[in-house]
Amino acid sequence: MKRPLRWNLILVAVLLLLVALIALPFWFVLTGSIKAPAEIIAREPTLVPQSFTLEHYVKLLAASDYPLYMMNSLIVASVSTVLTLALAIPAGYAFFRMSFRGRETLYRAILLAYAFPSIVILIPLFGIFAKLGLVDSRVALVLVNVAFSLPFAIWLLRSFFAGIPTEIEEAARLDGGAPFTVLRRIMIPLAAPGIAAVAVFAFVTAWTEYVFASVMILSDAKRTVPVGFSGIIGQYQIDWGLLLAGASLSILPVVILFAFVGRWFVAGLTEGAVK
Amino acid sequence: MKSPKNILPFAFIAPAILFLSALLIWPLVQAVILSLQDVRSVGTSGSWVGLANYRKLLTSPMFWDSAWLSLVWVLTNAVLQTLLALGAALALNQSFPGVRIARTWIVLTWIIPTVVVVMIWRWLFSTSGGIVIPVLMQTGVIDQPVGFFAQPNMAFATLVFINSWRWFPFITLMMLAGLTRIPRDLYEAARIDGAGAWKRFTRITWPLLAPTLGVLLVIGTLLSFNVFDIIWLLTAGGPAGGSRTLPVLIYETAFKSYRMSEAAAIAVMATLFLMAFAVIATRWLARPPEAR
Repeated sequence: MKRPLRWNLILVAVLLLLVALIALPFWFVLTGSIKAPAEIIAREPTLVPQSFTLEHYVKLLAASDYPLYMMNSLIVASVSTVLTLALAIPAGYAFFRMSFRGRETLYRAILLAYAFPSIVILIPLFGIFAKLGLVDSRVALVLVNVAFSLPFAIWLLRSFFAGIPTEIEEAARLDGGAPFTVLRRIMIPLAAPGIAAVAVFAFVTAWTEYVFASVMILSDAKRTVPVGFSGIIGQYQIDWGLLLAGASLSILPVVILFAFVGRWFVAGLTEGAVK
Repeated sequence: MKSPKNILPFAFIAPAILFLSALLIWPLVQAVILSLQDVRSVGTSGSWVGLANYRKLLTSPMFWDSAWLSLVWVLTNAVLQTLLALGAALALNQSFPGVRIARTWIVLTWIIPTVVVVMIWRWLFSTSGGIVIPVLMQTGVIDQPVGFFAQPNMAFATLVFINSWRWFPFITLMMLAGLTRIPRDLYEAARIDGAGAWKRFTRITWPLLAPTLGVLLVIGTLLSFNVFDIIWLLTAGGPAGGSRTLPVLIYETAFKSYRMSEAAAIAVMATLFLMAFAVIATRWLARPPEAR
Protein backbone atom coordinates (compact mmCIF):
# COMPACT_ATOMS: atom_id res chain seq x y z
CA MET A 1 0.00 0.00 0.00
CA LYS A 2 1.59 3.29 -1.13
CA ARG A 3 1.08 6.37 0.96
CA PRO A 4 1.06 9.86 -0.48
CA LEU A 5 3.92 12.09 0.66
CA ARG A 6 1.93 14.29 2.97
CA TRP A 7 0.69 11.25 4.91
CA ASN A 8 4.24 10.09 5.26
CA LEU A 9 5.14 13.50 6.66
CA ILE A 10 2.31 13.34 9.18
CA LEU A 11 3.35 9.82 10.13
CA VAL A 12 6.94 10.92 10.69
CA ALA A 13 5.73 13.88 12.77
CA VAL A 14 3.59 11.65 14.99
CA LEU A 15 6.41 9.16 15.42
CA LEU A 16 8.87 11.91 16.33
CA LEU A 17 6.40 13.19 18.88
CA LEU A 18 6.11 9.69 20.35
CA VAL A 19 9.89 9.40 20.55
CA ALA A 20 10.10 12.79 22.27
CA LEU A 21 7.34 11.81 24.67
CA ILE A 22 8.52 8.32 25.56
CA ALA A 23 12.14 7.70 24.60
CA LEU A 24 13.54 11.11 25.50
CA PRO A 25 12.64 11.07 29.21
CA PHE A 26 14.27 7.66 29.54
CA TRP A 27 17.30 8.86 27.66
CA PHE A 28 17.69 11.76 30.09
CA VAL A 29 17.30 9.49 33.09
CA LEU A 30 19.79 6.86 31.90
CA THR A 31 22.40 9.36 30.76
CA GLY A 32 21.76 11.53 33.82
CA SER A 33 22.66 8.63 36.08
CA ILE A 34 26.24 8.65 34.75
CA LYS A 35 26.71 12.42 34.63
CA ALA A 36 28.72 14.28 37.23
CA PRO A 37 26.50 16.02 39.84
CA ALA A 38 27.14 19.49 38.42
CA GLU A 39 26.08 18.42 34.93
CA ILE A 40 22.89 16.77 36.19
CA ILE A 41 21.55 20.04 37.59
CA ALA A 42 22.95 22.25 34.81
CA ARG A 43 20.66 25.03 33.66
CA GLU A 44 21.04 23.90 30.07
CA PRO A 45 20.52 20.11 30.15
CA THR A 46 22.93 18.19 27.92
CA LEU A 47 21.54 15.66 25.48
CA VAL A 48 24.87 13.84 25.25
CA PRO A 49 26.73 13.41 28.56
CA GLN A 50 29.81 15.58 28.85
CA SER A 51 31.08 13.76 31.92
CA PHE A 52 31.16 10.18 33.07
CA THR A 53 31.03 8.79 36.57
CA LEU A 54 29.74 5.71 38.34
CA GLU A 55 29.74 7.41 41.73
CA HIS A 56 25.93 7.48 41.92
CA TYR A 57 25.70 3.74 41.40
CA VAL A 58 28.49 3.07 43.86
CA LYS A 59 26.79 5.21 46.48
CA LEU A 60 23.41 3.59 45.82
CA LEU A 61 24.67 0.04 46.06
CA ALA A 62 27.12 0.55 48.89
CA ALA A 63 25.56 3.15 51.13
CA SER A 64 21.83 2.43 50.87
CA ASP A 65 19.64 -0.62 51.30
CA TYR A 66 18.79 -0.53 47.63
CA PRO A 67 20.21 -4.01 46.83
CA LEU A 68 18.03 -5.42 49.60
CA TYR A 69 14.91 -3.71 48.19
CA MET A 70 15.78 -5.06 44.77
CA MET A 71 16.02 -8.59 46.18
CA ASN A 72 12.68 -8.26 47.97
CA SER A 73 11.02 -6.94 44.84
CA LEU A 74 12.41 -9.74 42.72
CA ILE A 75 11.21 -12.36 45.19
CA VAL A 76 7.74 -10.85 45.59
CA ALA A 77 7.27 -10.28 41.86
CA SER A 78 8.51 -13.75 40.90
CA VAL A 79 6.36 -15.59 43.42
CA SER A 80 3.35 -13.42 42.47
CA THR A 81 3.93 -14.31 38.83
CA VAL A 82 4.06 -18.04 39.48
CA LEU A 83 0.96 -17.98 41.64
CA THR A 84 -0.95 -15.89 39.10
CA LEU A 85 -0.06 -18.38 36.39
CA ALA A 86 -1.05 -21.34 38.56
CA LEU A 87 -4.50 -19.83 39.10
CA ALA A 88 -5.07 -18.17 35.73
CA ILE A 89 -4.11 -21.02 33.40
CA PRO A 90 -6.64 -23.62 34.62
CA ALA A 91 -9.30 -20.92 34.93
CA GLY A 92 -8.59 -19.62 31.44
CA TYR A 93 -8.63 -23.15 30.05
CA ALA A 94 -12.04 -23.80 31.57
CA PHE A 95 -13.46 -20.44 30.52
CA PHE A 96 -12.29 -20.52 26.94
CA ARG A 97 -12.15 -24.21 26.07
CA MET A 98 -15.03 -25.75 27.98
CA SER A 99 -18.70 -25.07 28.13
CA PHE A 100 -20.54 -25.22 31.40
CA ARG A 101 -23.49 -23.65 33.08
CA GLY A 102 -22.93 -20.18 34.46
CA ARG A 103 -19.79 -19.63 32.40
CA GLU A 104 -20.82 -16.23 31.06
CA THR A 105 -21.97 -15.00 34.47
CA LEU A 106 -18.80 -16.09 36.21
CA TYR A 107 -16.65 -14.61 33.48
CA ARG A 108 -18.47 -11.28 33.76
CA ALA A 109 -18.06 -11.34 37.53
CA ILE A 110 -14.33 -11.81 37.11
CA LEU A 111 -14.14 -8.93 34.67
CA LEU A 112 -16.07 -6.80 37.13
CA ALA A 113 -13.36 -7.52 39.68
CA TYR A 114 -11.09 -5.50 37.46
CA ALA A 115 -13.30 -2.50 38.12
CA PHE A 116 -12.54 -2.81 41.78
CA PRO A 117 -11.17 0.33 43.44
CA SER A 118 -8.07 -1.20 45.00
CA ILE A 119 -7.90 1.41 47.73
CA VAL A 120 -11.30 0.15 48.94
CA ILE A 121 -9.95 -3.16 50.12
CA LEU A 122 -6.78 -1.66 51.59
CA ILE A 123 -8.50 -0.79 54.85
CA PRO A 124 -10.33 -4.06 55.56
CA LEU A 125 -7.45 -6.13 54.18
CA PHE A 126 -5.07 -4.50 56.60
CA GLY A 127 -7.35 -5.59 59.42
CA ILE A 128 -7.71 -9.11 58.05
CA PHE A 129 -3.97 -9.50 57.55
CA ALA A 130 -3.34 -8.14 61.02
CA LYS A 131 -5.53 -10.91 62.47
CA LEU A 132 -3.72 -13.54 60.39
CA GLY A 133 -0.33 -12.21 61.40
CA LEU A 134 0.48 -11.35 57.79
CA VAL A 135 1.25 -7.68 58.28
CA ASP A 136 4.90 -6.95 57.62
CA SER A 137 5.33 -10.09 55.56
CA ARG A 138 6.10 -10.51 51.89
CA VAL A 139 3.37 -13.15 51.71
CA ALA A 140 0.81 -10.38 52.15
CA LEU A 141 2.22 -8.54 49.15
CA VAL A 142 2.14 -11.67 47.00
CA LEU A 143 -1.50 -12.32 47.88
CA VAL A 144 -2.51 -8.76 47.08
CA ASN A 145 -0.56 -8.63 43.83
CA VAL A 146 -2.09 -11.87 42.60
CA ALA A 147 -5.58 -10.66 43.47
CA PHE A 148 -4.99 -7.55 41.37
CA SER A 149 -3.47 -9.25 38.36
CA LEU A 150 -5.67 -12.35 38.22
CA PRO A 151 -8.82 -10.92 36.56
CA PHE A 152 -6.90 -9.29 33.74
CA ALA A 153 -4.58 -12.30 33.46
CA ILE A 154 -7.55 -14.57 32.74
CA TRP A 155 -8.85 -12.14 30.15
CA LEU A 156 -5.42 -12.00 28.49
CA LEU A 157 -5.43 -15.77 27.97
CA ARG A 158 -8.61 -15.64 25.94
CA SER A 159 -7.24 -15.06 22.46
CA PHE A 160 -4.42 -17.54 23.01
CA PHE A 161 -6.62 -20.40 24.16
CA ALA A 162 -9.31 -19.60 21.64
CA GLY A 163 -6.73 -19.69 18.84
CA ILE A 164 -5.87 -23.37 19.34
CA PRO A 165 -7.74 -25.66 16.91
CA THR A 166 -10.27 -27.95 18.60
CA GLU A 167 -9.07 -30.93 16.55
CA ILE A 168 -5.73 -31.07 18.35
CA GLU A 169 -7.45 -31.23 21.71
CA GLU A 170 -10.01 -33.77 20.50
CA ALA A 171 -7.28 -35.99 19.12
CA ALA A 172 -5.38 -35.91 22.39
CA ARG A 173 -8.53 -36.76 24.30
CA LEU A 174 -9.40 -39.64 21.97
CA ASP A 175 -5.93 -41.00 22.55
CA GLY A 176 -6.99 -41.37 26.15
CA GLY A 177 -5.46 -38.24 27.67
CA ALA A 178 -6.92 -37.26 31.03
CA PRO A 179 -8.15 -33.63 31.10
CA PHE A 180 -5.29 -32.47 33.24
CA THR A 181 -2.77 -34.24 31.01
CA VAL A 182 -4.31 -32.65 27.94
CA LEU A 183 -3.98 -29.25 29.59
CA ARG A 184 -0.41 -29.86 30.63
CA ARG A 185 0.95 -31.67 27.58
CA ILE A 186 -1.04 -30.09 24.74
CA MET A 187 -2.68 -26.83 25.74
CA ILE A 188 0.03 -25.22 27.83
CA PRO A 189 2.77 -25.63 25.21
CA LEU A 190 0.44 -24.33 22.50
CA ALA A 191 -0.68 -21.40 24.60
CA ALA A 192 2.89 -20.62 25.70
CA PRO A 193 2.87 -17.12 24.18
CA GLY A 194 -0.26 -16.30 26.15
CA ILE A 195 1.33 -17.62 29.28
CA ALA A 196 4.35 -15.43 28.64
CA ALA A 197 2.00 -12.47 28.24
CA VAL A 198 0.34 -13.22 31.56
CA ALA A 199 3.72 -13.64 33.22
CA VAL A 200 4.79 -10.20 32.04
CA PHE A 201 1.56 -8.64 33.22
CA ALA A 202 1.73 -10.29 36.64
CA PHE A 203 5.39 -9.44 37.09
CA VAL A 204 4.90 -5.81 36.11
CA THR A 205 1.85 -5.46 38.37
CA ALA A 206 3.87 -6.73 41.32
CA TRP A 207 7.02 -4.83 40.38
CA THR A 208 5.27 -1.46 40.23
CA GLU A 209 2.90 -1.87 43.20
CA TYR A 210 3.39 0.85 45.78
CA VAL A 211 0.33 1.49 47.92
CA PHE A 212 -0.12 -1.89 49.61
CA ALA A 213 3.61 -2.39 50.00
CA SER A 214 3.87 0.95 51.75
CA VAL A 215 1.09 0.13 54.20
CA MET A 216 1.65 -3.59 54.79
CA ILE A 217 5.43 -3.60 55.18
CA LEU A 218 6.74 -2.03 58.35
CA SER A 219 10.37 -3.13 58.64
CA ASP A 220 13.01 -1.66 56.37
CA ALA A 221 14.52 -5.07 55.60
CA LYS A 222 11.35 -6.25 53.84
CA ARG A 223 10.70 -3.21 51.70
CA THR A 224 10.27 -3.52 47.95
CA VAL A 225 11.89 -1.15 45.48
CA PRO A 226 8.96 1.27 45.12
CA VAL A 227 8.64 1.76 48.88
CA GLY A 228 12.34 1.66 49.63
CA PHE A 229 13.06 4.03 46.79
CA SER A 230 10.47 6.53 47.93
CA GLY A 231 12.15 6.32 51.34
CA ILE A 232 15.50 7.15 49.77
CA ILE A 233 13.88 10.10 47.99
CA GLY A 234 12.69 11.51 51.27
CA GLN A 235 15.60 10.53 53.47
CA TYR A 236 18.46 12.40 51.86
CA GLN A 237 18.88 15.96 50.79
CA ILE A 238 17.65 15.59 47.22
CA ASP A 239 20.55 13.91 45.47
CA TRP A 240 19.39 13.65 41.86
CA GLY A 241 22.35 11.54 40.79
CA LEU A 242 21.51 8.91 43.38
CA LEU A 243 17.84 8.99 42.43
CA LEU A 244 18.57 8.73 38.72
CA ALA A 245 20.81 5.73 39.35
CA GLY A 246 18.06 4.13 41.44
CA ALA A 247 15.48 4.83 38.77
CA SER A 248 17.70 3.32 36.08
CA LEU A 249 18.34 0.17 38.10
CA SER A 250 14.66 -0.30 38.90
CA ILE A 251 13.87 -0.19 35.19
CA LEU A 252 16.48 -2.81 34.35
CA PRO A 253 14.76 -6.08 35.43
CA VAL A 254 11.48 -5.31 33.68
CA VAL A 255 13.32 -4.20 30.56
CA ILE A 256 15.27 -7.49 30.50
CA LEU A 257 12.06 -9.47 30.99
CA PHE A 258 10.34 -7.43 28.32
CA ALA A 259 13.19 -7.90 25.86
CA PHE A 260 12.58 -11.64 25.95
CA VAL A 261 8.81 -11.98 26.16
CA GLY A 262 7.57 -8.43 25.59
CA ARG A 263 6.34 -9.14 22.09
CA TRP A 264 4.04 -11.88 23.38
CA PHE A 265 2.62 -9.50 25.90
CA VAL A 266 1.98 -7.00 23.14
CA ALA A 267 0.48 -9.72 20.98
CA GLY A 268 -1.80 -10.67 23.87
CA LEU A 269 -3.00 -7.11 24.29
CA THR A 270 -3.47 -6.55 20.59
CA GLU A 271 -5.23 -9.92 20.29
CA GLY A 272 -5.71 -10.87 16.62
CA ALA A 273 -2.09 -9.91 15.97
CA VAL A 274 -1.09 -13.30 17.29
CA LYS A 275 -3.02 -15.30 14.73
CA MET B 1 -17.94 -31.76 25.77
CA LYS B 2 -21.20 -30.50 27.20
CA SER B 3 -22.47 -32.74 29.93
CA PRO B 4 -24.12 -30.46 32.48
CA LYS B 5 -23.04 -32.67 35.35
CA ASN B 6 -19.44 -32.21 34.41
CA ILE B 7 -17.66 -30.78 37.41
CA LEU B 8 -14.32 -30.57 35.71
CA PRO B 9 -14.62 -26.93 34.56
CA PHE B 10 -15.52 -25.92 38.08
CA ALA B 11 -12.51 -27.75 39.45
CA PHE B 12 -10.36 -25.69 37.12
CA ILE B 13 -12.05 -22.41 37.98
CA ALA B 14 -12.54 -22.92 41.70
CA PRO B 15 -9.02 -21.94 42.84
CA ALA B 16 -9.17 -18.60 41.04
CA ILE B 17 -12.72 -17.89 42.22
CA LEU B 18 -11.92 -18.82 45.81
CA PHE B 19 -8.79 -16.70 45.75
CA LEU B 20 -10.61 -13.66 44.40
CA SER B 21 -13.45 -14.16 46.86
CA ALA B 22 -11.05 -14.25 49.79
CA LEU B 23 -9.02 -11.25 48.70
CA LEU B 24 -11.55 -9.01 46.98
CA ILE B 25 -15.11 -9.96 47.92
CA TRP B 26 -14.51 -10.75 51.59
CA PRO B 27 -12.62 -7.51 52.25
CA LEU B 28 -15.43 -5.66 50.49
CA VAL B 29 -17.94 -7.24 52.86
CA GLN B 30 -15.66 -6.24 55.72
CA ALA B 31 -15.54 -2.70 54.38
CA VAL B 32 -19.34 -2.54 54.44
CA ILE B 33 -19.41 -3.82 58.03
CA LEU B 34 -16.68 -1.38 59.02
CA SER B 35 -18.57 1.51 57.47
CA LEU B 36 -21.49 0.86 59.81
CA GLN B 37 -19.31 1.13 62.91
CA ASP B 38 -17.16 3.80 64.48
CA VAL B 39 -13.70 2.23 64.33
CA ARG B 40 -10.92 4.77 64.43
CA SER B 41 -7.58 3.00 64.03
CA VAL B 42 -6.85 -0.48 62.75
CA GLY B 43 -7.30 -3.33 65.17
CA THR B 44 -9.44 -1.42 67.64
CA SER B 45 -13.08 -2.41 67.93
CA GLY B 46 -16.01 -0.12 67.46
CA SER B 47 -19.71 -0.08 68.10
CA TRP B 48 -22.51 -0.03 65.59
CA VAL B 49 -23.60 3.38 64.44
CA GLY B 50 -25.89 2.47 61.57
CA LEU B 51 -25.73 4.85 58.65
CA ALA B 52 -24.22 7.71 60.65
CA ASN B 53 -20.98 7.68 58.67
CA TYR B 54 -22.87 7.90 55.41
CA ARG B 55 -25.07 10.69 56.71
CA LYS B 56 -22.01 12.59 57.83
CA LEU B 57 -20.39 12.12 54.43
CA LEU B 58 -23.34 13.31 52.42
CA THR B 59 -23.26 16.60 54.28
CA SER B 60 -19.49 16.96 54.17
CA PRO B 61 -18.26 19.53 51.63
CA MET B 62 -14.87 17.84 51.63
CA PHE B 63 -16.42 14.62 50.33
CA TRP B 64 -18.32 16.37 47.57
CA ASP B 65 -15.29 18.43 46.56
CA SER B 66 -13.34 15.22 46.38
CA ALA B 67 -16.01 13.40 44.38
CA TRP B 68 -16.14 16.30 41.96
CA LEU B 69 -12.34 16.28 41.61
CA SER B 70 -12.47 12.55 40.92
CA LEU B 71 -15.00 13.12 38.18
CA VAL B 72 -12.85 15.84 36.59
CA TRP B 73 -9.80 13.61 37.00
CA VAL B 74 -11.47 10.69 35.25
CA LEU B 75 -12.82 12.82 32.40
CA THR B 76 -9.63 14.76 31.71
CA ASN B 77 -7.54 11.60 31.83
CA ALA B 78 -9.95 9.77 29.57
CA VAL B 79 -9.86 12.53 26.97
CA LEU B 80 -6.08 13.01 27.03
CA GLN B 81 -5.30 9.28 27.09
CA THR B 82 -7.71 8.49 24.30
CA LEU B 83 -6.41 11.27 22.07
CA LEU B 84 -2.77 10.34 22.62
CA ALA B 85 -3.55 6.66 22.18
CA LEU B 86 -5.59 7.24 19.02
CA GLY B 87 -2.76 9.20 17.42
CA ALA B 88 -0.19 6.61 18.44
CA ALA B 89 -2.36 3.66 17.40
CA LEU B 90 -3.11 5.11 13.96
CA ALA B 91 0.61 5.68 13.45
CA LEU B 92 1.64 2.24 14.70
CA ASN B 93 -0.99 0.61 12.50
CA GLN B 94 0.98 1.74 9.44
CA SER B 95 3.89 -0.25 8.14
CA PHE B 96 7.29 1.37 8.42
CA PRO B 97 10.76 0.15 9.35
CA GLY B 98 10.94 -0.57 13.07
CA VAL B 99 7.19 -0.73 13.64
CA ARG B 100 7.45 -3.99 15.60
CA ILE B 101 10.03 -2.52 17.93
CA ALA B 102 7.93 0.60 18.38
CA ARG B 103 4.83 -1.48 19.15
CA THR B 104 6.66 -3.49 21.77
CA TRP B 105 8.56 -0.76 23.53
CA ILE B 106 5.88 1.90 23.58
CA VAL B 107 4.66 0.39 26.86
CA LEU B 108 7.93 1.26 28.54
CA THR B 109 6.14 3.98 30.48
CA TRP B 110 3.80 1.41 31.98
CA ILE B 111 6.24 -1.30 33.02
CA ILE B 112 8.27 0.86 35.40
CA PRO B 113 7.32 1.50 39.05
CA THR B 114 5.05 4.50 39.60
CA VAL B 115 7.52 5.77 42.16
CA VAL B 116 10.06 6.00 39.38
CA VAL B 117 7.56 7.66 37.03
CA VAL B 118 6.99 10.26 39.72
CA MET B 119 10.69 10.79 40.36
CA ILE B 120 11.48 11.10 36.65
CA TRP B 121 8.85 13.75 36.03
CA ARG B 122 9.57 15.64 39.20
CA TRP B 123 13.12 15.97 37.92
CA LEU B 124 12.17 16.76 34.31
CA PHE B 125 9.78 19.46 35.53
CA SER B 126 12.26 20.86 38.05
CA THR B 127 14.61 23.80 37.70
CA SER B 128 17.56 21.64 38.76
CA GLY B 129 18.47 20.05 35.46
CA GLY B 130 14.97 19.37 34.17
CA ILE B 131 14.49 19.61 30.42
CA VAL B 132 10.89 20.81 30.31
CA ILE B 133 11.37 24.39 31.53
CA PRO B 134 14.35 25.16 29.24
CA VAL B 135 12.44 23.77 26.24
CA LEU B 136 9.32 25.76 27.07
CA MET B 137 11.40 28.91 27.51
CA GLN B 138 13.33 28.38 24.28
CA THR B 139 10.13 27.92 22.31
CA GLY B 140 8.65 30.99 23.97
CA VAL B 141 5.75 29.22 25.67
CA ILE B 142 6.82 30.69 29.02
CA ASP B 143 9.22 33.53 29.77
CA GLN B 144 10.25 32.49 33.27
CA PRO B 145 10.43 29.20 35.18
CA VAL B 146 7.09 27.97 36.52
CA GLY B 147 6.36 25.71 39.46
CA PHE B 148 4.41 22.83 38.01
CA PHE B 149 3.15 21.66 41.39
CA ALA B 150 2.85 25.00 43.15
CA GLN B 151 -0.66 26.06 42.28
CA PRO B 152 -3.76 23.79 42.50
CA ASN B 153 -4.96 23.88 38.88
CA MET B 154 -1.47 23.66 37.47
CA ALA B 155 -0.61 20.76 39.77
CA PHE B 156 -3.80 18.97 38.75
CA ALA B 157 -3.07 19.45 35.04
CA THR B 158 0.49 18.23 35.53
CA LEU B 159 -0.78 15.13 37.34
CA VAL B 160 -3.22 14.42 34.52
CA PHE B 161 -0.37 14.67 32.05
CA ILE B 162 1.91 12.34 34.04
CA ASN B 163 -0.83 9.77 34.62
CA SER B 164 -1.85 9.82 30.97
CA TRP B 165 1.79 9.50 29.99
CA ARG B 166 1.98 6.32 32.03
CA TRP B 167 -1.24 4.79 30.73
CA PHE B 168 -1.75 5.89 27.13
CA PRO B 169 0.65 3.33 25.60
CA PHE B 170 -1.32 0.55 27.27
CA ILE B 171 -4.52 1.93 25.75
CA THR B 172 -2.71 2.34 22.42
CA LEU B 173 -2.03 -1.39 22.22
CA MET B 174 -5.64 -2.28 22.93
CA MET B 175 -6.73 0.25 20.33
CA LEU B 176 -4.36 -1.36 17.84
CA ALA B 177 -6.28 -4.57 18.41
CA GLY B 178 -9.40 -2.82 17.16
CA LEU B 179 -7.57 -1.32 14.21
CA THR B 180 -6.01 -4.58 13.05
CA ARG B 181 -9.45 -6.16 13.04
CA ILE B 182 -10.66 -3.78 10.32
CA PRO B 183 -10.35 -5.66 7.01
CA ARG B 184 -7.83 -4.11 4.65
CA ASP B 185 -10.08 -4.78 1.64
CA LEU B 186 -12.51 -2.17 2.91
CA TYR B 187 -9.88 0.51 2.44
CA GLU B 188 -8.95 -0.81 -0.98
CA ALA B 189 -12.56 -0.84 -2.08
CA ALA B 190 -13.07 2.70 -0.79
CA ARG B 191 -9.95 3.84 -2.56
CA ILE B 192 -11.17 2.38 -5.85
CA ASP B 193 -14.46 4.19 -5.30
CA GLY B 194 -12.40 7.36 -5.04
CA ALA B 195 -12.74 8.05 -1.31
CA GLY B 196 -10.05 10.37 0.09
CA ALA B 197 -8.05 9.67 3.24
CA TRP B 198 -10.31 11.77 5.46
CA LYS B 199 -13.40 10.10 4.09
CA ARG B 200 -11.87 6.66 4.61
CA PHE B 201 -11.17 7.62 8.22
CA THR B 202 -14.66 8.96 8.94
CA ARG B 203 -16.54 6.26 7.02
CA ILE B 204 -14.47 3.16 7.77
CA THR B 205 -11.95 3.57 10.58
CA TRP B 206 -14.07 5.63 12.94
CA PRO B 207 -17.34 3.61 12.82
CA LEU B 208 -15.49 0.29 13.04
CA LEU B 209 -13.21 1.50 15.80
CA ALA B 210 -16.00 3.07 17.84
CA PRO B 211 -16.93 -0.10 19.78
CA THR B 212 -13.29 -0.60 20.77
CA LEU B 213 -13.06 3.04 21.79
CA GLY B 214 -16.15 2.57 23.94
CA VAL B 215 -14.66 -0.40 25.74
CA LEU B 216 -11.39 1.44 26.21
CA LEU B 217 -13.12 4.50 27.61
CA VAL B 218 -14.75 2.28 30.22
CA ILE B 219 -11.50 0.54 31.08
CA GLY B 220 -9.66 3.86 31.10
CA THR B 221 -12.25 5.37 33.41
CA LEU B 222 -11.94 2.53 35.89
CA LEU B 223 -8.15 2.59 35.76
CA SER B 224 -7.95 6.36 36.19
CA PHE B 225 -10.41 6.46 39.03
CA ASN B 226 -8.26 4.08 41.04
CA VAL B 227 -5.04 6.01 40.60
CA PHE B 228 -3.66 6.87 43.97
CA ASP B 229 0.10 6.47 44.11
CA ILE B 230 1.03 9.03 41.45
CA ILE B 231 -1.09 11.69 43.12
CA TRP B 232 -0.02 10.81 46.63
CA LEU B 233 3.67 10.75 45.82
CA LEU B 234 3.67 13.99 43.84
CA THR B 235 1.30 16.29 45.66
CA ALA B 236 -0.19 14.24 48.54
CA GLY B 237 -3.56 15.61 47.48
CA GLY B 238 -2.42 19.22 47.58
CA PRO B 239 -1.79 22.02 47.12
CA ALA B 240 -4.80 23.17 49.13
CA GLY B 241 -6.66 19.93 48.40
CA GLY B 242 -6.42 20.65 44.69
CA SER B 243 -5.71 17.02 43.82
CA ARG B 244 -7.52 15.26 46.66
CA THR B 245 -9.48 12.74 44.61
CA LEU B 246 -11.58 10.08 46.35
CA PRO B 247 -8.79 7.48 46.68
CA VAL B 248 -6.58 10.16 48.28
CA LEU B 249 -9.39 11.17 50.61
CA ILE B 250 -9.95 7.52 51.58
CA TYR B 251 -6.28 7.04 52.33
CA GLU B 252 -6.00 10.28 54.30
CA THR B 253 -9.09 9.54 56.32
CA ALA B 254 -7.96 6.02 57.15
CA PHE B 255 -4.23 6.34 57.67
CA LYS B 256 -3.64 10.01 58.49
CA SER B 257 -6.67 10.98 60.55
CA TYR B 258 -7.31 7.43 61.77
CA ARG B 259 -11.03 7.33 61.04
CA MET B 260 -11.25 3.85 59.50
CA SER B 261 -15.01 3.59 59.49
CA GLU B 262 -15.48 6.90 57.73
CA ALA B 263 -12.88 5.92 55.17
CA ALA B 264 -14.69 2.62 54.66
CA ALA B 265 -17.95 4.48 54.08
CA ILE B 266 -16.31 6.62 51.38
CA ALA B 267 -14.81 3.49 49.87
CA VAL B 268 -18.15 1.69 49.80
CA MET B 269 -19.83 4.65 48.13
CA ALA B 270 -17.05 4.84 45.56
CA THR B 271 -17.35 1.12 44.85
CA LEU B 272 -21.12 1.30 44.43
CA PHE B 273 -20.70 4.17 42.04
CA LEU B 274 -17.96 2.47 40.02
CA MET B 275 -19.78 -0.87 39.85
CA ALA B 276 -22.94 0.85 38.71
CA PHE B 277 -20.94 2.67 36.08
CA ALA B 278 -19.24 -0.55 34.94
CA VAL B 279 -22.51 -2.48 34.72
CA ILE B 280 -24.38 0.27 32.87
CA ALA B 281 -21.44 0.91 30.55
CA THR B 282 -20.95 -2.75 29.63
CA ARG B 283 -24.71 -3.17 29.06
CA TRP B 284 -24.71 -0.15 26.83
CA LEU B 285 -21.64 -1.36 24.95
CA ALA B 286 -23.04 -4.88 24.60
CA ARG B 287 -26.09 -3.65 22.69
CA PRO B 288 -24.73 -3.93 19.16
CA PRO B 289 -23.56 -7.54 18.76
CA GLU B 290 -20.49 -6.62 16.74
CA ALA B 291 -19.15 -4.67 19.72
CA ARG B 292 -17.55 -7.78 21.19
